[in-house]
Amino acid sequence: MNISPVHYIALPLLAAFLIPLLSKLHKELARIVPGLVFLYFLVISVVLMQRLETQPMISEVIAGWSAPWGINLVFTPFSGFLVSLMSFIGFLVWVYSYHFKKIDYMPAQKYFILLMMLVTGSIGIVLTGDIFNLFVFLEIVAISAYSLTAFYPGRDGAEAAFKYLLVGSFASALILLAIVILYTQTGTLNMADLAVKMHEVPHYLKVIIFVLFLVGFGIEAEMFPLNGWAPDAYSQAPGPIGAVFAGIVVKGGIYALVRVVYTIFDLSGVGTILIALGLVTMIIAELAALRQDNLKRMLAYSSIGQMGVVLIAFGIGTDTAIFAALFLMLNHALIKSMLFFSASYLLYNSTTKTIKELTGMAKHLPFVSFIFALGAFAIVGLPPFSGFWSKLYFLMAAADAQMVLLIITVLSVSVIEIIYYFRVIGKIYSKDETSELEPKKPTINSVLVMTVLGALIIIIGVYPDLVTDWIHHASDALVNKSNYIQNVLTENLPR
Amino acid sequence: MNTLALIILIFFSGATLAYLSSLISNKLPGWVALLTTMTGTVLFYMSFQNEQALSFSIIGLNLEWALDNYTILFAHIIFGLGILASLYSVQYMQNKSQQGSFYANFLLSIGSMFGIIISKDFISFFIFWEIMTWSSFLIVVWNGIGFRKNGIWYMAMSAIGAYAMLTAIVLINSEIGTYSLQAFFNAVQENAIDNLMLVSILLLIGFAVKAALMPLHIWAPRAYSNTPASYTSVFSGALSKMGVFGMGLVLIRVFRFSGLQDNFDYALVSQFTSHVLAWLGGITAAIATLYALVQKDAKKLLAYSSIAQLGYIVIGLAIGTKLAVMSALFLAIMHAVFKGALFMAVGAVERQVGTTDMTKISGLIRRMPWTFFVTLVSIIALAGVPPLSGFVGKWMLYEALITNGNFFLVVVVFFSSTAAFLYSYRILFGLFLGQEEDDTAHVKEAPATMVIPMVILALFLIVTGTYPGIVFEPIAHGMEYLGFTDVTWNMTVLSNVWGDSVNLQYVSTTIGVAFMLALIFLTFKGRKGTRGVSTKDISTSGEIPLEHENLTFQLDFFKPFERAAAPLYKRSITKIYEDVANGLEALFDFTRKIYTGNGQTYAIYVVAFLVTLLIVVQNML
Amino acid sequence: MDFDFQNIVTISVYGSAIALILIGIYAVLIKKHLIKIVIGMSLVDAGLHLLFVAIGYINNGTAPIFSPGYEDAATNMVDPVPQALVLTAIVIGFAVTAVALSLVIRLYKHHGTVRIDEIKSLKW
Repeated sequence: MNISPVHYIALPLLAAFLIPLLSKLHKELARIVPGLVFLYFLVISVVLMQRLETQPMISEVIAGWSAPWGINLVFTPFSGFLVSLMSFIGFLVWVYSYHFKKIDYMPAQKYFILLMMLVTGSIGIVLTGDIFNLFVFLEIVAISAYSLTAFYPGRDGAEAAFKYLLVGSFASALILLAIVILYTQTGTLNMADLAVKMHEVPHYLKVIIFVLFLVGFGIEAEMFPLNGWAPDAYSQAPGPIGAVFAGIVVKGGIYALVRVVYTIFDLSGVGTILIALGLVTMIIAELAALRQDNLKRMLAYSSIGQMGVVLIAFGIGTDTAIFAALFLMLNHALIKSMLFFSASYLLYNSTTKTIKELTGMAKHLPFVSFIFALGAFAIVGLPPFSGFWSKLYFLMAAADAQMVLLIITVLSVSVIEIIYYFRVIGKIYSKDETSELEPKKPTINSVLVMTVLGALIIIIGVYPDLVTDWIHHASDALVNKSNYIQNVLTENLPR
Repeated sequence: MNTLALIILIFFSGATLAYLSSLISNKLPGWVALLTTMTGTVLFYMSFQNEQALSFSIIGLNLEWALDNYTILFAHIIFGLGILASLYSVQYMQNKSQQGSFYANFLLSIGSMFGIIISKDFISFFIFWEIMTWSSFLIVVWNGIGFRKNGIWYMAMSAIGAYAMLTAIVLINSEIGTYSLQAFFNAVQENAIDNLMLVSILLLIGFAVKAALMPLHIWAPRAYSNTPASYTSVFSGALSKMGVFGMGLVLIRVFRFSGLQDNFDYALVSQFTSHVLAWLGGITAAIATLYALVQKDAKKLLAYSSIAQLGYIVIGLAIGTKLAVMSALFLAIMHAVFKGALFMAVGAVERQVGTTDMTKISGLIRRMPWTFFVTLVSIIALAGVPPLSGFVGKWMLYEALITNGNFFLVVVVFFSSTAAFLYSYRILFGLFLGQEEDDTAHVKEAPATMVIPMVILALFLIVTGTYPGIVFEPIAHGMEYLGFTDVTWNMTVLSNVWGDSVNLQYVSTTIGVAFMLALIFLTFKGRKGTRGVSTKDISTSGEIPLEHENLTFQLDFFKPFERAAAPLYKRSITKIYEDVANGLEALFDFTRKIYTGNGQTYAIYVVAFLVTLLIVVQNML
Repeated sequence: MDFDFQNIVTISVYGSAIALILIGIYAVLIKKHLIKIVIGMSLVDAGLHLLFVAIGYINNGTAPIFSPGYEDAATNMVDPVPQALVLTAIVIGFAVTAVALSLVIRLYKHHGTVRIDEIKSLKW
């Protein structure tokens, strides 16, 4: 079978349809099939990344209509990087939550279908070359995310999901409006074609479209002040879904934003706006995290803060900065999902999910506590863990752009980050008193996942060259806009 | 394989091994650590005479490691203390749990200290610096008690320092396009760095935190007194010297020998900075000494004393004349030795008696004679009294200050070293002299593996008191690396610019003989006329003290003094920091209120944000 | 023809699209009742869809089909793309509304109220 990017989309959709039927045959299939899909994602990623060695990008045309008329999927080193990352995290989440709702399989079946849709939607956002198609994938992500947030009837999930939905429907309305205006002006929906025809659009309309996109995707990318839904959703969704939000969904939002800014628009001065927005996002989020007493909300705010840094890096926009931004995204995906994985075990039987209840948890759950501490060390950027290098490159980019004040601000905020993360570690390892929580021993597969992530964090920290080539290709592909346009528009004749 | 890389590798893999071995038995990690430090030390001493360098690249950044004389000077401190402390540690930690994580971090911090000094580029320097920080942090919080008070402050202050340093590093890189230290020094010489002052000050802040310079010292007393004694000796002796190491590079290599003294602005600012630092050092020495005086816990006392001693060293480096730097480096080494010995001695008391509270212990001299001996020698060195080596360092420091015209600083230093007598006397008296308490009657001397390292350090102090040249030799070489030329030194004779000279051999012989005679006399005399009284047998003016009232003389030892300096103690710097931190936290906490919890508010934010952006951006783009 | 019936239709279509959007936004931002908010969201969606279709429409245009009877399709056809897109968007809007309504039911069961300003257990 000829492997192509379409499989990323087609296969899980088919599987989602088949799972309810298959699970009638055997209940276990509802768990196994999504895993097979994720495994296949990994295989496609490897094969396609290999193929990118010989050709600049793979553009797959759907239904025989070549770009700019048909919908196409574009697998560039940049999107390939994100897609592989998402597939990897998705697979880990599946392994981690294999035993989720072991006893009653109906919720588990829903969970796995929604999880698969969430990952597929995010991958679709990254792969598609069509702006309306991107909107559709964004909605797939959104709807599955709403449902997953409200997954537990016992918690305040519905409240979080409703807030998410309320804000999210604004996002989709704004994006749809932007697409409508864009279509009236250019008559095309293909992103490469849009980029070519962008100069036909009057300037004031261009700005309006840009702002609509910025706000719309900004909601998914957790930009301040559009991120009120995020801490609620992160804290109410099932534990592994927090990892998916932080590791996969946000990345999709950021991708969409970046694709719009870098490929479609040619506005100068956008960088400054992104820097300003990123800075505000980062500062507010980290300050809000400082006194947070709910662990998962704290992690969520920290996640938002990290996304702020990524936005700043994209705003600076030099080669080093984009490299740093992608490296930050990679690290954030790995580390934050590890933190969510370990945090959900630390808080397994807690009803309030507060940090207070963690006192002395290390005694009961030494491995999980160790993993959490490792994640905290890595996310604040202590060497020799992977978070250090991305931070270093980010600072280098800022220094090259002569932004001393920016460096100082980011680092001051990092001190705050260190304080709140280390407070939690202190609580976990405290011997002053011990928690009354009934700890749940981690299952073997979750231990495996956490070990893999922990090892990766250390390995990348010690030997970053392992991934930097990858990231370099990705950032080159993003910066090289004309290459993208040319390849999408000319080299793909209908089959 | 390159020896430098091998040593680093040995320490880091030793750390892993120590942790893993604790899974088998809690006793193993200590031995693993000892073996690791021994291998590392032997490897170092076998090869440090040879030229060694290693360079490799990681994500396109060139990292270079090499040995030079300045490095070797500090390597002596690290390996010397490291091996003694790990020997001491085996028995000291005997009955404690979770030795695996302790020893893993112990080895990591020693390895990373070595990494710091061999780094010839900022990236590996910073990486090792951070590893050292978090590994020592993990030891500070190792016992899991009082994390909020001890650990957070240490980590937060370290982070501030490290990030100041990181800012400087990336700024340097953006200017000269490389992280190499040598390239930085060259660029400084060629006046190629625009914001050199900003960069240097940021670097100095980074180093000052580790050197516990006021007002960045607040982490130190708590962190020092909260670590197991076997590590405190390394912590205070070697780890704090990493700050001194870096300061030496900036203050001497950059400020003094940058070849830019003709640049008027530059010279002015660098001199001003040096002056400020010298004064901060002086203030640190004075205030920390005052705090040391009133401590009731021996470990806390030593912690404050460490801060004070580091103050002298900073003064010396900041003054920056040949003599001043020599005295600073000499004091640095001596401080490592005697403070290492003192922390070990106090640790021995802690292990044998169970507490280091001086109001609860007394009269241990007969129970722990070796420990007493070590303490005695160390505090003589600490107080800077002849014939021990502390005197030599102080002598040079005074001379350097006077010849440089810093008379006021002389007064400060003189005041604080006089006050140092008081607290060092207190520690000796409090723990070892006086009447024996009944409940310490069963106490035995610490085991041999703990006593031997202490005694080695004490003997080193005695020998260098007479032959300071042993230490001067590596210092002189190290100073040549910093840029000084014609560094002269003498094995046993101290001389000053005014033509006076002291032959230390005579001094120590005379004092030694006098001491022996006095000892013999007192022993014979003391045999007859002593009457056994309890420590609590104090005149109480007719009032009968209750049973539980603690009447040990250690309580309110320096009461009159305390009363005199009361206003100073009241305005504690720590308190100010804590108030500021709490205030900031409350302020920051307020920002959270933006997230009201009402979904509709969030929707309003979206619309308001959209409208604002439409207006703002329309004008901007 | 000065007084153009087509023009009136066009204007009223655009006008009602915009009116729908504004009413929807008003409901979402001001109304406290969860159901009303959901209705508001649907109205915004409906307005957008209407707008999109209106944009693609050409006066007296033909269906975009190339077959006998539609000879002028190449020059005078209604743009089919917006219609296709709107169909998709309607489906999405339907799904979102369904999820929203089910959430409202869940919220009512959990909190015993349908006023959005009383459901604030997650904050800060």
